[in-house]
Amino acid sequence: MTKHTVSRRAFLMGSAALSGAGLVRAANIKTRSWPGNHNDVRCGIIGYGPQGREITATLARVPGAQVAAICDTYAPMLRRAQRDAPEATRHEDYREILDNPDIQAVIVATPTHLHRDMAINALQAGKNVYCEAPMASSIEDAKAIARAAQNATGQIFQVGQTYRSNPQHRSVFQFMRSGAIGRPAMARGQWHAKESWRRASPNADRVRELNWRLDPAVTTGLIGESALLQMDVAYWVLGELPTSVHGFGQIMAWNDGREVPDTVQAIFEFPSGLHMVFDATLASSFDDAYEAYYGSDSTIVFRDRGKAWMFKEVDALMLGWEVYARTDRFYKETGIALLANATQLDAQNVDPTEDDPNVETPLWYALQEFMDNHAFGPYPPAANWERGLEAAAIAITANQAIMERTQKDIDPASYTLD
Amino acid sequence: MQTVRLALHAMATRFELLIHGEDMIQLRGAGEEALAEIKRLEQQLSFYDPTSEISQVNCNASEGPVRVTPRLYSLLRTAADVHYKTHGAFDVTVGPLMRCWGFVRGAGSWPDAHARKEALSRTGMDKVVLDDAKRTVAFKLPGMALDLGAIGKGYAIEEAGMFLRDCGVTSALLHGGTSTMVAIGTPPQDGNGWPIGVSDPLEDSQMLTSTSIRDEAFSVSAPKGKAFQKDGKVWGHVIDPRRGYPVQGAALSAVAHPSATICDAISTALLAMGRTEGKQVQQKFRGMRTLCAYHSTGAMDIISLGFNSTDSTTQQ
Repeated sequence: MTKHTVSRRAFLMGSAALSGAGLVRAANIKTRSWPGNHNDVRCGIIGYGPQGREITATLARVPGAQVAAICDTYAPMLRRAQRDAPEATRHEDYREILDNPDIQAVIVATPTHLHRDMAINALQAGKNVYCEAPMASSIEDAKAIARAAQNATGQIFQVGQTYRSNPQHRSVFQFMRSGAIGRPAMARGQWHAKESWRRASPNADRVRELNWRLDPAVTTGLIGESALLQMDVAYWVLGELPTSVHGFGQIMAWNDGREVPDTVQAIFEFPSGLHMVFDATLASSFDDAYEAYYGSDSTIVFRDRGKAWMFKEVDALMLGWEVYARTDRFYKETGIALLANATQLDAQNVDPTEDDPNVETPLWYALQEFMDNHAFGPYPPAANWERGLEAAAIAITANQAIMERTQKDIDPASYTLD
Repeated sequence: MQTVRLALHAMATRFELLIHGEDMIQLRGAGEEALAEIKRLEQQLSFYDPTSEISQVNCNASEGPVRVTPRLYSLLRTAADVHYKTHGAFDVTVGPLMRCWGFVRGAGSWPDAHARKEALSRTGMDKVVLDDAKRTVAFKLPGMALDLGAIGKGYAIEEAGMFLRDCGVTSALLHGGTSTMVAIGTPPQDGNGWPIGVSDPLEDSQMLTSTSIRDEAFSVSAPKGKAFQKDGKVWGHVIDPRRGYPVQGAALSAVAHPSATICDAISTALLAMGRTEGKQVQQKFRGMRTLCAYHSTGAMDIISLGFNSTDSTTQQ
C-alpha cells in the first residue's frame, strides 16, 4: 500500500478549514477533535434492515458522528443493532428517538412507503434528517416531505442520493459538462443482478412487511428501489429532467406469484431530444451496473460506484493530459480512466495511475457531507429536498409506466412545490 | 421437503449454500440474505480492495489510531486472542511477510535475506495497539498491514450462518471453497449430521478422515495451491509469522468447533505449530477437535484429537 505523507483525514480537515468561511468556522474545527468528542453529532437510525446496517457501519467511521439510538420493530434486527453499535440505545417505537432531546440527527432507512410520517415527524421534532432514496413511494408523499423540509428553515434535510456527494462523480460531472463527449447522442444504463428480491423470516406477518418491494401497492419497483441512484446521475450530468417515459416490465425468472416485474426497460425522453434507455433485471447478473453517455467525440461510462472511463472516437481531438492517463482494456475497446483527484494524488507522491488507496464509498462521502453540515451549516446539501422530489417523481412515474406497459408524460408540476 | 442451492463468488473463492426446508421461496430469500452478508463482509475486510475498511486501517494506522466499526474491532480482538492462545502462530499482521514472499498477487518467490528480516520486524500482533474505549487500531511501526485472509472467510461464514438462523433456517450447509464450512441442524436423510470427508493431501482420491458435523463449523488448511519450489522443497503460501518462512513439515490440518471464525484461524495456526504445541492448543478451546498431518519419511504422521483417522501411522 502506498504510503502518504499527508493523511487523508489531516488533508480533509485542512481543506475544510480553508473553505470554512471565516474565523468563527475555523474556531469550530478546533472543538471538533476526533474521535469520541462530546461535540459528536448524536444520530438516531430508524429502520435496521440492510441499508440501516450499512449506514450504521459507515457512520462508525465518519468523523464527528455517533450512532446513539437505533429503532426497528423486529427483535432480531435489534439484536444485530446491539452487536453493531453496542453503545446505542435500542427502540421499537421511533417516536422515542424523536422525543430524545440529545439526538440531533435522524436517519430514515425504513421501507420507502414509511418515510413520509417518519421524516416529517422528525423534522417537526427539530431533528436534522437524512432520508433514504427514493424519498417516497408516491408523489403526494414526496411533496409532503419536500414541503416539510422547505419549511424547516435552519434544519438540514438530505436525501440518500449519495452519488451527488461523491468526489469521483463530481469530478466526472465537470468533465462531462465541459463538453468532453462532443455532441450528445444518447444515454444508456443498466442494473443487473441475479436474486429473487424475496426476504425471509420465521414470522408470517414479518414476511409480509419485509417483502414490501414486491407489493404493487407501495413499491417503486426495480427502477425506483435499485436503479434510482444511477438515474439520478443521469439528470445531473445531462443537466435536464425527463419529460416522458415509456416503460415495459416482465416476469422472466421469478414466477412465484409476484406481480411486480423482475425485468424492466424504460426509455426516458429529455427536453433536448436526447433519449436514455435503462434496463434492470433480477434474472441475470451479467455486466452488473453501469451508465454510458454516448457523444460524437467520445463515450463516457460510469461503473463500480463512481469509476469512469472515456472511450474516444478516432476522429476526436487528442487531449493534452491523455498521454499520462491510465488506460484499461474492455475487450476490443480501450478506456481512459477518469480519476477524481489525479493532480492531488501526484502532490502526495501517490501514483495517479493506481487506484487511490484512500477512496471511500459514496455513502461515506454522503454521510460525511451530512455531518459537516452540522458543523458548518446549515446549507442546502447537494442532495436536498428538490433533488429528492425530482428523483422520486421520475421513479414513481417510470414505475407506473412499467406496470401499465405504456408511455407516460412526466408532469413538470410534479418536480416542484407550487 | 424442498432443497435450494445457491452460490456466490467472493473472497477469491466460491461459496456454496445448500438449504432444506418446506417453503422454497422463503429458503431462497434466506439464502440470498446470508450470501449478501458475505459479499458485504468481503467489501469490508478485503486486503486488496482500496475502499475496504481494512485498507483504510492499513493506510492510516501507522500515523495514528484509526477508529473502526464495532464488529471489525471485535473480530480484531478475536484475532488477538487467538494470537495469544497460539503463542503467535496465528498472526493477522503477516501482510508484509506475505508481500515479501511474493504471495500477495503471485505464486511466491524467494526473497533476499534483508527484505525478509525487514518484513519480519514489521510483523507481530504485539505491535498493534487496540484501544477498547475508543475502538481504535494503531500500528507501532510504519509498513505494517493487517491481512485477515486466514480468519475472514470463517468470520463471513459464521455471520452468514447467524443470518440463516434468524430467517428460520433449520437445515443448511454453507462452505467457502470447501475449506471452511458451517452446518445448521442435520440434512433430512441423516440425523447424525452433515458428512464431511478430508482428502489425503498426497493422494486426493484417498480419505484421511471422515466425520459428521451438526450445528458446528469445520475448517481444513493445507499449504497447497499458491506455492513455488526451491532446492527440491515446496514453499507454500502459509507463512510461520514467528520465523518469517513458509511452513515446512505440516501437510494438512483440520478443525471442528462451534465457531467458524475460530476453526478458520486455528486450522491455519496449526500448520505453523509443532506437534506438541498443536495438542496444547486444542485444549484451550472448549469443544474443539483437531487433526494434523505431518510429512514424515515414507508416510505421514497423523495426530488426531477427536477425529477418526482412517490411515494413520500415529493416532492419539
